Amino acid sequence: MQDKQFMRETLVDGAKAFKEGKMKRRTFLTLCAMTGFSAAASFPGGAEAAADYIVMWNWGGQSEECHGGAIGKPHEAAGGLPLRFDTSGPLQGKIKEMVDSGNVTADVCDADLFDAVALGASGHLEAIDYNVVSKDKTLPNYALDHGVSIILYGYAFVYDTEAYGDNPPNSWADFFDTAKFPGKRSLYKWANGSLEAALMADGVDKDALYPLDMDRALNKIKGMKDDSLYWGSGSEAHSMCVNGEVTMGMVWQNRGRNIEEDTEGRYKLVMNQALAMPGAYIVPKGNPAGREEIMKFIAQAQDPDAQLQLLDCLGMTPSNPAAFDGIPEGQQPYAITSAMNIDGVAFNDPTWWGENGGDAVNAFLEAIS
Amino acid sequence: MFEANSDKGSLQVRDVSKFFGTFCAVNGVDLEIQRGEFLTLLGPSGSGKTTLLMMIAGFLDITSGDIALDGTSISGVPAEKRNFGMVFQGYALFPHMTVRDNIGYALSVRKRPEAEIREKVDEMLDLVQLVDFADRKPGQLSGGQQQRVALARALCFEPPVLLLDEPLGALDKKLRVEVQDQLKDIHKRVGTTFIYVTHDQEEALSMSDRIVIMRDGAIEQVGTPYELYEKPANEFAAGFLGKSNFLQRADGVYALRPEKIDIRASGTGEGEPRLSGTIQSITYFGSMQRIMFLTNGGEELEVDIDSWRNRDPLEEGQSADLYWDKGAAVKLEG
Amino acid sequence: MSALRRHIHPGWALVAPFLLLVAALYLGPILNILWLSVTDPEPGLGNYQKLFESDSLLRIFWTTIRICLITTVGSVFLGYSIAYAMVHCHEKQKSYMLTLLLVSFWISILVRTFSWLMLLGHRGLVNNALEGMGVIAEPIAFMRNELGVLIGMIHYMIPYAVLPLLVNMQSLDMRVMNASRNLGATGSQTFWRIYLPLTTPGIVASSLLIFILSLGFYVTPAVLGGGKVLMIAEYISVQLLVTLKWGTAAMLAGLMLFGVLAMLYIMSRFMKLSTVFGGSS
Repeated sequence: MQDKQFMRETLVDGAKAFKEGKMKRRTFLTLCAMTGFSAAASFPGGAEAAADYIVMWNWGGQSEECHGGAIGKPHEAAGGLPLRFDTSGPLQGKIKEMVDSGNVTADVCDADLFDAVALGASGHLEAIDYNVVSKDKTLPNYALDHGVSIILYGYAFVYDTEAYGDNPPNSWADFFDTAKFPGKRSLYKWANGSLEAALMADGVDKDALYPLDMDRALNKIKGMKDDSLYWGSGSEAHSMCVNGEVTMGMVWQNRGRNIEEDTEGRYKLVMNQALAMPGAYIVPKGNPAGREEIMKFIAQAQDPDAQLQLLDCLGMTPSNPAAFDGIPEGQQPYAITSAMNIDGVAFNDPTWWGENGGDAVNAFLEAIS
Repeated sequence: MFEANSDKGSLQVRDVSKFFGTFCAVNGVDLEIQRGEFLTLLGPSGSGKTTLLMMIAGFLDITSGDIALDGTSISGVPAEKRNFGMVFQGYALFPHMTVRDNIGYALSVRKRPEAEIREKVDEMLDLVQLVDFADRKPGQLSGGQQQRVALARALCFEPPVLLLDEPLGALDKKLRVEVQDQLKDIHKRVGTTFIYVTHDQEEALSMSDRIVIMRDGAIEQVGTPYELYEKPANEFAAGFLGKSNFLQRADGVYALRPEKIDIRASGTGEGEPRLSGTIQSITYFGSMQRIMFLTNGGEELEVDIDSWRNRDPLEEGQSADLYWDKGAAVKLEG
Repeated sequence: MSALRRHIHPGWALVAPFLLLVAALYLGPILNILWLSVTDPEPGLGNYQKLFESDSLLRIFWTTIRICLITTVGSVFLGYSIAYAMVHCHEKQKSYMLTLLLVSFWISILVRTFSWLMLLGHRGLVNNALEGMGVIAEPIAFMRNELGVLIGMIHYMIPYAVLPLLVNMQSLDMRVMNASRNLGATGSQTFWRIYLPLTTPGIVASSLLIFILSLGFYVTPAVLGGGKVLMIAEYISVQLLVTLKWGTAAMLAGLMLFGVLAMLYIMSRFMKLSTVFGGSS
């Protein structure tokens, strides 16, 4: 009972923070993962799938304004169905349950690309029609059978400039070196990013991470366990830094900007070796609006203008190479695919995560607890 | 057999008062209680009798005055150090303990040897005739049995004084009379000072060595049952203990017990009748009859006569004369 | 028909539809979960076998049971003290205390959890004050560890401990305590030998309530444990929503269910559960 109440408030708080731009999409996702709560109750106008519109299943926040403006309006102008939202959060478990139950109410999920691999293999997703959607309008490895990346988010770290002023850390190796850089660290609790960072710290090249050497990664993580805290939500990651609980903290890269601002520059974001994560659109099997209609919608989302609008509105980095040059000056230090950052970035392999993610998360949880 | 501390047990209550805020529950009570005495505090509810008992027990502080045991003040001594036995209203037995453990509790908290406790409890079980119930819980006993457990528990550690707070209140009338006899018997055998609180005048009369009649926190009259019944000091005492007719005369008020009046049909008695008038009603109670009588002077009197003495049948509405012995009407104070 | 009627009270006919509905709505999903635990990902007892093969599952179990036990003991102990104070203070103070208790009962767990961070966190009020006074050089790690989890959980559970105890204590006949004193027992003897045994039903009720509620906790451990305190409920939710190991989740959920039922059964061997939960004995 108390859990349910908590979940509800977590999500309402989360939705509010999201609206105010304090919380990143991924934060909210994790909050929901933590609470395991259907956010439908916290937002008005939940699932309303019908063939009269397209229903996007996402994490709420400013979706009406951002997704609606960037994708929904142009799609409708081109003769497509209008866009509606179900903001209860498309976790893998929920998508699976929805399709298994035969009561599919969503047309497209704003999810991770590795979800496309996991759920595609088990037959819970429609295949992407690459006659309508373009493989060229995303990064080369991010156009998969059952999902295509529209935006990117990433794992980077911030450090306390007062602790390491003269000799700032610049790599995951520095992050994991508590002898040279004494102090507490924070890492993401659900393994994503944390495993890759550990391997890079241990000397694995950023382009040769996959398949992940789990033992090696977990050893590195365990080696720093006593000095580590683990966060499950963006706001937690944020407060661990802002409250000085850690001197270096792994964060979602666009959260880094808020932390720099909130600490008046005391904490600084390092984008070198940041891990790019492909956010993807995936389509539940038997979506009510039909496959043809939804493919057109996804193609619309690949448009560079739409992607740049999402960057401006939500801080999501475009994954269509045609949009990279359009990243404005102010977003350069924070965007993953900006000219400034793109060469130092490591790219997540959604196939490995889709196939091994469950075991990896469990192994990671077992290692840190 | 049971031996009370024969040299202990007199109690002195000196000018004791108790205020709850501005409300005065007990007002300047003075009382000497003899060792081994069966003393009853009698009064209606709100008369302060229970408050006085609680102060003697140590559960309530006294506002002013002093209470002494055998001449030594105990006013500052906490309840658990006073060594007074007490039988509570409703008994307050320990529901989670057996009868044996209830009775032995006082010795057990005094850390006496097991064997001694066992022996003493057996003795008490015998005294209150509950030997067969030693291993039951209070909830499995009847009201009368519970009452006896409470008594045994309070007596087990041989207190110099036993306080009883309306101990028979929860019993039905027939059982109550039975238990009264047992209580009296036990009192005789243990020789402990009993201080007994009740609002039941029959109980008070039949059991007590002395009775203290209380009203509004003060003592109205103290005396043996005989003294109080025969010579009530005032209207309250006369009315509360037994029944009384009150006769207004020029020199004061006289109390006259209904059973001390003889009634004869008009003109059939010997000598000069005390009063003449009319029989208003006759109620038959088996062993006695209650006659309501209206004198020619307009006074209403109650007359109780033994049924067997009803020589001439009397009827309602009949004229009759009243007779009583000299001294039967007692002049009241004030 | 009439023979049947003699055995079954006609009143049952009135409640039967609801009973069936409740049975279907409760038993259906529970059976479904148990079914999942032996069929997903493949038929057999593979999920249960994991219990014996995986050290980490056992560790999560023990962490959960340890934290739940300490939480239960801690909150019942504190709750007992609070309830005792409430029963034995003046009526006015009692209503103040009850109000404060209920206010904290109604404040959301999220607010309470984060309040502890603000109070006892790395740069929380307490650490700042102690550092300012020069008592400590480094902040004390109250939070983001198991201690933090326990503080948060005990605090959350205290009202659940107080309320059953309060009801129990209020129903006691204070004359029994007076009787004990009158028989020469000291305050502590009266407490240990009379008061405590008579409040045992309340202690059992609140302990059961808190232990069972604690089993389902994962918000507080997740936030105040710094990610290092993994309890079974959080693990189940991860298996359901993130790693899609529904068989494992169902197995763990089933074990928890049967664990709780077993606990109630054992309890019922010692005392009537209806008295524990406020029914008449």
